[in-house]
Amino acid sequence: MRPLLLLLLLLLATAHGLDKLSYRPRLADLEGRVTGSTFVLEQPRCIFDKYNTAEIWLVVATRAGMGDFNDSAQPGMPEWSFQRFPANTSAYLTLGAMQYHYRCLEPNRELTVLRVGSETSCADNASVPNCNGPLPSPGPYWVKFLALNDSESIATTQWSGPITLRTARAIPSSPGTGSGRSGAMIAITAILSVLLAILLAAFLAMLCSSEACGVGSFRPDSASIHRYNTHHVYDQSAARL
Amino acid sequence: MAKTDNGIRICQGLLILGNVVIGMCGIALTAECIFFVSDPHGLYPLLEATENDDIYAAAWIGIFVGFALLALSILGIVGVMKSNKTLLLVYIILMLITYAFEMASCITAATHRDFLTPNLFLKQMLERYLKSDADNNNDKWMTEGVTKTWNNLMLQNQCCGVHGPSDWQEYTSAFRVTHNDADYPWPRNCCVMDNRGEPINLDGCKLGVPGFYNSNGCYDAISGPLNRQAWGVAWFGFAILCWTFCVLLGTMFYWSRIAY
Repeated sequence: MRPLLLLLLLLLATAHGLDKLSYRPRLADLEGRVTGSTFVLEQPRCIFDKYNTAEIWLVVATRAGMGDFNDSAQPGMPEWSFQRFPANTSAYLTLGAMQYHYRCLEPNRELTVLRVGSETSCADNASVPNCNGPLPSPGPYWVKFLALNDSESIATTQWSGPITLRTARAIPSSPGTGSGRSGAMIAITAILSVLLAILLAAFLAMLCSSEACGVGSFRPDSASIHRYNTHHVYDQSAARL
Repeated sequence: MAKTDNGIRICQGLLILGNVVIGMCGIALTAECIFFVSDPHGLYPLLEATENDDIYAAAWIGIFVGFALLALSILGIVGVMKSNKTLLLVYIILMLITYAFEMASCITAATHRDFLTPNLFLKQMLERYLKSDADNNNDKWMTEGVTKTWNNLMLQNQCCGVHGPSDWQEYTSAFRVTHNDADYPWPRNCCVMDNRGEPINLDGCKLGVPGFYNSNGCYDAISGPLNRQAWGVAWFGFAILCWTFCVLLGTMFYWSRIAY
């Protein structure tokens, strides 16, 4: 478990000329690194150590914005504001922080991140042009860090690789894997049906083995009763006289 | 004559023993099915909303079949001891009817268990969890049941979604309509909570930092109890029916040998 530091605040620093640093912003390794309207970057620690009084801003741009953006942009300018992105401007500046917030840490310290898109309250508020609002479309977007000193840019990193946000799919309607008849259910049904059939057949046989079944001719000598005149006593009345 | 007497005695003894076992199994079946119907894990609202709750119907049938088996076994013991053809005929007919009901219960439990796939619960969770508008009262009732059940599930089992929190990102849902993605990448109940029911670190939960959110899916917590219920009803009923089959055949044989 790595606890996180999430604070970002700003300071301005001075510098001369524009240094192009080789650092490329990258996504943090967390579950929520890319969602439908936000993404999470690693903080640019140890990158701006030379620029003690600089203010570090994040530039978020579309593909067109990568070409259009000029490094003399100021954070308060309406043409680089979040509210006009991406319809009327191809890039915006946000997440400004003073350089000391990105000081170098010891090598094994916790991961530090920046969440782009977390401020929902100012998303429609034109008086907050640097709002860190949720991104309106899945992108892709490119980001870089810009160091400013008294409104003059003194250093910039490389553009990151394309960051594409998640698009939600429709709710699945098919049963998916694991459906269909299992073997156990077929075995139970088949065996029980056979057993019931045998029971019914045995029941009928049991009833038919008594006389109730109507055939009843298994004992051929039970049909008639014979009277035998054993002592040839034909006329009782003659002996009595 | 002595041999036939002994044979009859043995037959009677076996039948009485068979009926005693049936009676005890009937009590056990009733107890097992009452346990399942009482829904100790609180999963019934999920099945009710999918309209696929027939494993509960199978358990209800099991309760009554258990009682019937107990009563009929006593009738059978009395009939065998008295060697009364009428009693035994009534016993056999009623046992056949009970047999048919129990067979229905077993087959229903086994068949409907096959319908309980992850996608079934996923679809229902996405469509109903925290749905804000309802078509009618029945819809509202089911939505509330599903929401409450999922909240309990996620809190008690420390899990989120069916496969994981990514379910809420990958698919559209009724939840997403009322809760925007930036503030709620997944529901609040997916966060690790403290004793008062608040997330211990809301930002950590939204970012997906290990330790502040539940990364497992809830499917195991759902399918485990439901599978045990379905297989418990189906296989125990199957075993009882196999034994009853033998006892019934023996009783029919005994009946046909009784002389008036």
